[in-house]
Amino acid sequence: MSTAATHFRQTDPYKLGHGHGGGYSHRYATGHGEGGPASKRVVVGYGFWIFLLSDIIMFSAFFAAYAVLSREFAGGPTGRELFDLRGTALQTAVLLASSFTCGMATLAVEQRNQKWTQIALLITGLLGATFLLLEVREFTELVERGAGPTRSAFLSSFFALVGCHGIHVTVGLLWLGTMMAQFLAKGFRENIRHRYLCFSLFWHTLDIIWVALFSLVYLVGSLQ
Amino acid sequence: MLGKLTWNAIPWDQPIPLISAAVVGLALIGVLAWVVIKGHLPYLWREWITSVDHKRIGVMYITLALLMLFRGFIDAVMMRSQQAVAFQAAGYLPPEHYNQIFSAHGTIMIFFAAMPLVIGLMNFVVPLQLGIRDVAFPTLNSVSFWLTATGAALVNISLVVGEFARTGWLAYPPLSELQYSPGVGVDYYLWALQISGIGTLITGVNFVTTILKTRARGMSYLRMPMFCWTSLASNLLIVAAFPVLTATLAMLLLDRYVGFHFFTNEAGGNMMMFVNLIWVWGHPEVYILVLPAFGVFSEVISTFSGKPLFGYRSMVAATLFICLVSFLVWLHHFFTMGAGANVNTAFGIATTVIAVGTGVKIYNWLFTMYGGRIRFATPMLWSVAFIVTFVIGGMTGVLLAVPPADFQLHNSLFLVAHFHNVIIGAVLFAAFAGLTYWFPKAFGFRLHEGWGKAAFWLSVAGFYVVFMPLYLAGLMGMTRRLQHYVVPEWRPLMLIAAAGIVIMCAALACQIIQIVVSIRRREELRDETGDPWDGRSLEWATPSPPPVFNFAVLPNVQDQDAYWGIKQRAAESQGTASEPPEYRPIELPRNSATGFVTAFFATVTGFALIWHIWWLAILGLVAAYAVFVKFAWRDAEHYEIPAEEVERIDRPYREKLEGALGIQNSLRSLL
Amino acid sequence: MSTDLSNNTEGLDLAPGDEPTGHRLRSDIGTYLLGLVLAAALTAASFWAAHTPLIYGPSVPIAISVLAVAQMGIHLVFFLHITTAPDNTNNVLALGFGLLIVCIVVLGSLWIMTHLGENVHSVPDVMRMQR
Repeated sequence: MSTAATHFRQTDPYKLGHGHGGGYSHRYATGHGEGGPASKRVVVGYGFWIFLLSDIIMFSAFFAAYAVLSREFAGGPTGRELFDLRGTALQTAVLLASSFTCGMATLAVEQRNQKWTQIALLITGLLGATFLLLEVREFTELVERGAGPTRSAFLSSFFALVGCHGIHVTVGLLWLGTMMAQFLAKGFRENIRHRYLCFSLFWHTLDIIWVALFSLVYLVGSLQ
Repeated sequence: MLGKLTWNAIPWDQPIPLISAAVVGLALIGVLAWVVIKGHLPYLWREWITSVDHKRIGVMYITLALLMLFRGFIDAVMMRSQQAVAFQAAGYLPPEHYNQIFSAHGTIMIFFAAMPLVIGLMNFVVPLQLGIRDVAFPTLNSVSFWLTATGAALVNISLVVGEFARTGWLAYPPLSELQYSPGVGVDYYLWALQISGIGTLITGVNFVTTILKTRARGMSYLRMPMFCWTSLASNLLIVAAFPVLTATLAMLLLDRYVGFHFFTNEAGGNMMMFVNLIWVWGHPEVYILVLPAFGVFSEVISTFSGKPLFGYRSMVAATLFICLVSFLVWLHHFFTMGAGANVNTAFGIATTVIAVGTGVKIYNWLFTMYGGRIRFATPMLWSVAFIVTFVIGGMTGVLLAVPPADFQLHNSLFLVAHFHNVIIGAVLFAAFAGLTYWFPKAFGFRLHEGWGKAAFWLSVAGFYVVFMPLYLAGLMGMTRRLQHYVVPEWRPLMLIAAAGIVIMCAALACQIIQIVVSIRRREELRDETGDPWDGRSLEWATPSPPPVFNFAVLPNVQDQDAYWGIKQRAAESQGTASEPPEYRPIELPRNSATGFVTAFFATVTGFALIWHIWWLAILGLVAAYAVFVKFAWRDAEHYEIPAEEVERIDRPYREKLEGALGIQNSLRSLL
Repeated sequence: MSTDLSNNTEGLDLAPGDEPTGHRLRSDIGTYLLGLVLAAALTAASFWAAHTPLIYGPSVPIAISVLAVAQMGIHLVFFLHITTAPDNTNNVLALGFGLLIVCIVVLGSLWIMTHLGENVHSVPDVMRMQR
């Protein structure tokens, strides 16, 4: 680190930084950003982190709509009549397990282990697909029972909120497949690993959003 | 096969849109033909369309913004002239056309003029001020721009193919629901905003990351130029607010396309929820626009007063304060909806509190000028006019923040005058100040001062003549969006406002002449040193226009006004800082067509969704995914400029600069 | 991971999702396993709380919300490695800002809309009254 600093002084066109000490006194204080641009991995990860926060805020708008409309049954079925908590429990278990296997994939990537990376990602993908299948089955059953999204404002906001999560899982699966292909074709190249960091953040965040969904929509919804 | 699209979608019976569309179409074809025949197409493709250079993208943003500003201004001229003639008469615009015009005016001005103006300035300026080579994600930056252009294209296509929304610029339901707006107008509105909104969101992510993670060495938070601070706050607001817009518009889309009941009258839907959610986005949006404007004025006033910004830290604090509190005031847009006294009071107080943060800023600017050696160049004129105008607009805003007063003034022309007063007085004035200020940096020559000053005086005069009567009309009870009216007392005010718009037209002519004259006299207006205004921040520490890599050697920041400090020290050492730097190869991101191609497919998908051409929509989405995978598959992201090339580009500038600094030193010793 | 970080002269800035300590495979798997067990336990507790007579009825939603927040915390710490260590400052600040906005959007909307609902009758209500 000190070599980098010295080197910088030599290349400094204006002969700055000599003796003043004002240049980067807080160099070691993280976040003050005096050490110059952060590494590519930090930049990519942080950028995606910001994106995820914006995504969570988007969900919060759907949540707000659901919260406001959750008692507008318009004479139609209520959550207590509709929600099958066993199905929800199964979905929750599947998604939690996929979050764990995604973590395992992260470790395999760190170890540069192609075989285990592919296996862990494959399991993650299969679990994600199972989750999605369960959700599609739930939705079709609801629609067949006459409890589709057009029935009442409550059901509109329910389908939109849960469906939005489902669309995210679908996008995640597409991404996951692309990711596996990239690891196979390109190996553990730096930019591919950066991309994988983003994917794992995305996948774990989907699970966090699901926690809010099964708790506040399904569990609390089944009470009313 | 073509969904709802038929030959009758083109408004054959309406001469005004048809003729204007024909003119625009011919002009576009003419420009395209000229580009192709002259052989400029490869140059455009290589240097601009596929460019991921933040400076080029910034210039393209501003070009788009100025075109859209022109389009929105024409709408404004039509509205003013309609109200001037439509006293106890039908005027020349039928109601359904008039409604489209005010909807398009608002949508275009906010999303496709004001937003691209501030984002364009941020794109060009922020990386230069931070002392770095590009934004954090250059290719995504290009995607952002082209998605914004997609939105603008869709809105303008609606002029000829189909219709635009007649619902006002925020498309409140239930009017915007399928039952009451069965046409494609609202769909054009929704998809244009959804697609350009994604672009804006990416911009927000990009700039938050850039400012927080990739500043030059030594540039701690409290050494960042004020424009970077306000850009950071503005982009944080983008990241926090635009997802809410996306979600809200998605709900309306679900209502319209698949019969959901979010905002309908039936089945328990609640139209007031739309109003609530859209303003959760809408109020921060105001500050997304105005905070960078504050940043521009801070830079300009400090530079042209020859002083550091007064109260820099309080300015930072006020910026962050506004950034946060702007999320706590949204209800003041619908005091009259009936939330009751307690809710209204809370939001009324929060709204007046925001004025404190803004007041801090006004005093800081005044004290920056106080005791300074002020040069009244055009950017500084805009800034001074801003202070006066914005104080008036701000105070009428505080009036509107008082719920009982708002019950009287809600949806009147007083409100219209208020928000034009703050948006024109701050955002547009800042844009013109910023454009004049940074134009020499972008193109290497200054804008002509005489024409700039003429445009300035006419704009300010025109603004006051148009909008002060509207305040009065509002107080006299005239509501907004009237296609015709019968109250004789309003007539003189409408005529004065129409006269004002004539002055504005003259101002616009001066702006265009200014650009033409400046280009023709560019040799005498040339900026040799890269520092035409005796600037204070790092963008002036590179040649004008800057090389593709911005800085041959990344700067090392020691002061709050980084470049000012460098110049001071160079003066002290009598320009002996001439030891040549050690040049090293520079790695830069490769150009990429990803942004343009993505936007092409986004346009196709958007158009298909508007007209219910489902196969085409699916095709567009699949193609967009394919583009994404192809981009992800690329092997080489960067190219390298060898050290010798860097030296070849940088050395002449450095010699010139040393000469200039030497002259400056001898002047100083004489004084 | 470590090779990437060495590019950074700062050296003390972490990307979200990166673990702050050096990585030994076994302890890392242990971390994820612990997170899995804790999250599963909290999930089970939530489902149990929804249908137990042991918790006073009206407070059940609160209990479920508390458990949900706890579980999100577990996910953040064990899966996303977001901690309060200094090298995570920026990540945590961003998270805090996001959560603040989420609270403002959801709670603010609920507050406003509840009061609107009390003061303003919906269109069907009004039509019923006119009848």
